Amino acid sequence: MAVPEPPRRLLGGRIPYIDGPLKVTGRAEYTDDLRRPGQLVGRILRSPYAHARILSIDTAAAERMPGVHAVLVGSDYPIPFGVLPITHDETALAVGKTRYIGDMVAAVAADSEGTAEEALRAIRVEVERLPEHLDPDAGTRPVAEPIHARGLNGTNVQKEVLQHFGDVDRAFREAAVSVAVHGNYAGVTHAFTEPLVTLAEATPDGRLTVWSATQVPHYLHRSLSEVLGVPMHRIRVIKPEVGGGFGGKSDPLPHEIVCAALALRTGRAVKILCDREDVFLTNHGRHPTRNEVRIAAAADGTLLAYDIDAVIDGGAWSSFGVVTTYYNGVLSMGPYRVPNFRYRGRRVYTNKPPSGAMRAHGGTNLRYSIEVALDELAERLRIDPFDLRSHNALPPNSTTVNGFRITSTSFRACLAAARERSGWDAKFRKLPFGRGVGLGCGFYISGSNSPIHFTPKMPQCTVHLKADMDGGIAVHSMQADIGQGSNTLLAAIVAEVLGVDLERVHVVRVDSDISPVDIGSYSSRVTFMMGNAARRAAEALRALLLRAARDLTGYPVEQLRMGHECVEVAHRPEIRVGFLEVLHKAMERTGALQTSGAYTSPPMGGTHKGARAGTAPAYSFAAYVAEVEVDAETGQYRAEKIWAAFDCGRALNRLAVEGQIEGSIHMGLGQFVGEAMTYRGPRLLNPSLLEYKIPMPGQMPEVEVLLVGDDDPEGPFGAKEAGEGPLIATLPALGNALYDAIGVRFLDLPVTPEKVLRGLDRRRAEGRSWKGG
Amino acid sequence: MHLDPFTLHRPTSLQEAIDRAGALAGRCDFLAGGTDLLPNYKMHLNLRPHLIDLGGVPELSGFGEGRIGAMVRLADLEADPRFARDYPGVVEAIRSVATPLVRAGASVGGNLLVETRCFFFNQSRLWRESLGYCLKAEGDRCHVVPQKERCYATFSGDLAPALLVLGATAEIAGPGGIRRVPLAELYDAQGDGIHRTRLQPGEILVAVHLPPAARGARASYRKLRIRPSFDFPEVGIAAALFGTPDRIERLALAAGGLESYPRLFPELTEAVAGGALEPAVLDRLAAGVQRSVRPVHNTSLEAAYRKRMAGVFARRALAALADPPAPAPGAAP
Amino acid sequence: MAERRELSFRLNGHPRTVPCADERLLLDLLREDLEMTGTKRGCDLGTCGCCAVLIDGRPSLSCLTLARRIEGREITTIEGLTPPSGLSPLQKAFVAAGATQCGFCTPGFIVAASALLAATPHPTREQVVAALGGNLCRCTGYTKIIEAVQAAGSP
Repeated sequence: MAVPEPPRRLLGGRIPYIDGPLKVTGRAEYTDDLRRPGQLVGRILRSPYAHARILSIDTAAAERMPGVHAVLVGSDYPIPFGVLPITHDETALAVGKTRYIGDMVAAVAADSEGTAEEALRAIRVEVERLPEHLDPDAGTRPVAEPIHARGLNGTNVQKEVLQHFGDVDRAFREAAVSVAVHGNYAGVTHAFTEPLVTLAEATPDGRLTVWSATQVPHYLHRSLSEVLGVPMHRIRVIKPEVGGGFGGKSDPLPHEIVCAALALRTGRAVKILCDREDVFLTNHGRHPTRNEVRIAAAADGTLLAYDIDAVIDGGAWSSFGVVTTYYNGVLSMGPYRVPNFRYRGRRVYTNKPPSGAMRAHGGTNLRYSIEVALDELAERLRIDPFDLRSHNALPPNSTTVNGFRITSTSFRACLAAARERSGWDAKFRKLPFGRGVGLGCGFYISGSNSPIHFTPKMPQCTVHLKADMDGGIAVHSMQADIGQGSNTLLAAIVAEVLGVDLERVHVVRVDSDISPVDIGSYSSRVTFMMGNAARRAAEALRALLLRAARDLTGYPVEQLRMGHECVEVAHRPEIRVGFLEVLHKAMERTGALQTSGAYTSPPMGGTHKGARAGTAPAYSFAAYVAEVEVDAETGQYRAEKIWAAFDCGRALNRLAVEGQIEGSIHMGLGQFVGEAMTYRGPRLLNPSLLEYKIPMPGQMPEVEVLLVGDDDPEGPFGAKEAGEGPLIATLPALGNALYDAIGVRFLDLPVTPEKVLRGLDRRRAEGRSWKGG
Repeated sequence: MHLDPFTLHRPTSLQEAIDRAGALAGRCDFLAGGTDLLPNYKMHLNLRPHLIDLGGVPELSGFGEGRIGAMVRLADLEADPRFARDYPGVVEAIRSVATPLVRAGASVGGNLLVETRCFFFNQSRLWRESLGYCLKAEGDRCHVVPQKERCYATFSGDLAPALLVLGATAEIAGPGGIRRVPLAELYDAQGDGIHRTRLQPGEILVAVHLPPAARGARASYRKLRIRPSFDFPEVGIAAALFGTPDRIERLALAAGGLESYPRLFPELTEAVAGGALEPAVLDRLAAGVQRSVRPVHNTSLEAAYRKRMAGVFARRALAALADPPAPAPGAAP
Repeated sequence: MAERRELSFRLNGHPRTVPCADERLLLDLLREDLEMTGTKRGCDLGTCGCCAVLIDGRPSLSCLTLARRIEGREITTIEGLTPPSGLSPLQKAFVAAGATQCGFCTPGFIVAASALLAATPHPTREQVVAALGGNLCRCTGYTKIIEAVQAAGSP
């Protein structure tokens, strides 16, 4: 007899973050808040040359300085690393060449900041300047001195992807209408508030402990071992609180390895705290991208084909670049059915700070071009943009032409909610000149189905629980809370399954000595994968408790269930045993109860080259409407409101989901209105929070969050991701709203007031009026 | 980011400050609020081994009766209801400065003498080394307008235009005693981004004085910037009207954020005295400002755009004068 | 390093005397010398607000304040705004509204907001936005922070 589950006490509600009290009091511990006895200051010398061959490095003067304990150069630790095992092209410090202004060349550990900086200035580096490669288009052709030897055929192309499904040329021939857009996107960066920082300590027992602001403690652990030549079991990686990541802490980064190397070299603790310029130069932000998106459609708006080409500016290293190159094509495969698809993507090395993964990695710039093209298509066909999208929506339980498995989708519900709540039908093309509404949609993976490493074979997430006589439940997992609230969700899932109060559950700080492996906070995987693992671990613990309750009550396990802080008889809930009593009974013979839960994503995807890229156990969907107001005299504009309809399956913590959506909109708004890594030549012009324009409170639109997702069949309690997907739809909603407001298309991001004014000037010069303006 | 060592001097009288500056000539900077100087020091821009803290000099503090001490914090002025009533244009400008946290430390004198800014100057040592140092710090060339004579760094204070249009004067003390000059003459119209004031070595800006006519005058400030806080002005236009919109006794316009020093436009405004503040006049003045200013591309927004916006913002600042004077927005209820 | 001389001030209500060099910044004094790590170092150049503390009740940037200039003054840090047990109403409002995500900017926001509420117990949304204009948050889009401050200030 199946016992009906009691209504959920926590999940689905608004669960305040369990670490909130620590954060509002300044008591949460971030890496820079930690200090070890005898700790030294580590500092890194960065290259002022964009591309240069290193002829010699003279560190003698620096080494002689009193107070200097170690000086390192690239040849000390030359083993290459990188987040993807197939593209190890970074080194802890530059070996042979420097590849961008800011590339790390040497490092020191000293008694004080002042001494460390003085020592850096005493290091003499002799170089031969090499030609600078700054334009990714030029880098697709063979060049004299490629940035990396691994560039394809003497070019600077790091990765090329060619894919073709169906017959795109035929679809375009037979199409009633086609549109083409050319998008150009400046690079943007994460700009988390906590700077990059690492503390490492070598101890006489032969162990190395590394505390670091990272999203991927496990990948850091592997890279440290590989580069330093220390077995993983002698390295302990600890992740304190992390002050934001957004993808910017999702690579093992060179300063982390340098810091550990300095600790090994000195036998002491060393801290490297990056200043803000260091953080900007380390970058790994969203790739500057140029793309061309062509869309073919039938007269009734049915989409027939996508033909996409992207040239992606990778900067100096590979980072996640192989994934980026695939994503910039394949993430076009939702939320619409597209029967024919062709993609050519090239990621090109340039002598600029490396690009990498940033929130909604690979899906943002591509999506903007598609959604603007669809807006254009709708206009050409005189179909409402909502109707066009609804008509083409992928149905649940379908497969895309490139083999993505779509299970749950509430995309149509998103469209309906956004349309109704925004008052779309009364506003679209009907607001006065200068005011407009626009629709943009989104689609994103809920966890990459592929782990990055395949050896050894292991789950993507493991969660351990320990319940001891004190009645507390300790949760161990290497999942990395970087502010998104995953610790809170982890605790809530455990508490929900066990029926206990949230305060009984303690999420233990990530520590590789204790925490079983989770592969990290990236690809929007944590809720889905950790959630499933946590649920399984808690269910295993529940099974032990129910068995003990059986012994205490005499009722068979099948008739028992967890009540609030107790086990109760399902059909006679007045018969119950308190949680602590049950726990103590359960541990009589074994001592503390320990259970484990794990998650491995199911096999999926096609068999073609790159078939795994973009596969995920579930996908999120979004439909946003933005309303904007333009000052036609200055080109300045303001996003007044965004209606954000989002399908994250079941929202397990509505507070956190709203927070992710509001924060994503802020970040998307930033990329749209003004954030940009601005270069003159190889030089980043604005490596500061003053000149890199993150929006302020006064620029935020009102946000109305509309959560309309149905339960996902495989997500924990029906949930899917809400951490990255919510960013994507923001940009095209704004772009299409600007078009509705003033009749100008913007495909060069960010859309600064100068560009708006130029667009208005052009329209006026051409004598084309728009809504009477 | 630590600061390189320096010696901090904390004089407790104006004379002591002047004497100390005299003794340390060429080797010291004055420290007012520090919100501009210390970031520049952290970037290793033109470091001096001595700092003279003006915070303890009583002659530089306090405001009232049309006098504003140079060390008065911007936050104190904006929080004073009487000051906001008497000088709404000034308070409008103050509220547009940086952020509340900066204004808590920043001083009136510091904002008037704020270091000029440029993308090629306000950078780290690594950055500047990578390109070659510039005229304004350690180098011999300008990267904005390539030549070796003149620095094009941009004056980025908000307060100066707002005080200029009210006819403020500067009280300056130095080894030679105290002198009073029109505020416009504090700045060197023959200078550049480096030689931008006419302060003599060792001279200290003690206070600014507003003439009685300035009290309650219609005045406004319009600032172009990317974000509603933090950002320095890309264009800052102040306007003041003495008389009424129907009959202009005297009109003043001033601009900052565009060139190496803030300036008035007497050649434009003197011609409209006696007339009315009507749309055609606004257009003519705005066009005149736009024609006259010469921004270069060394800030976030393009030079041509800033030039055009100088006209738009001038017109808006002037149009605001037609409205009756009102307490500045955000004033405490 | 330059000579370190004694510096006396009040920190969260208690008198303190510490050795301090001329070029020492208040942020370094707090975090490094006094191990008061609640005050955060975000940009170190005055453009993020993570390092805000109250100097004589006024929210100020500790990264741009020479420690020597706090001689005789009252410094209140996030530690001082926290009751010995439990949370202040403003802190409770932040927790309830979900106004923290990564939490790194939070102490600075609490400092700035507490000064606003001290001066203006029931601020309008516009007043909250203006008062928080020097604090940068990369996680929340400010929405829940503004909500929290208004909730703490609602009658």
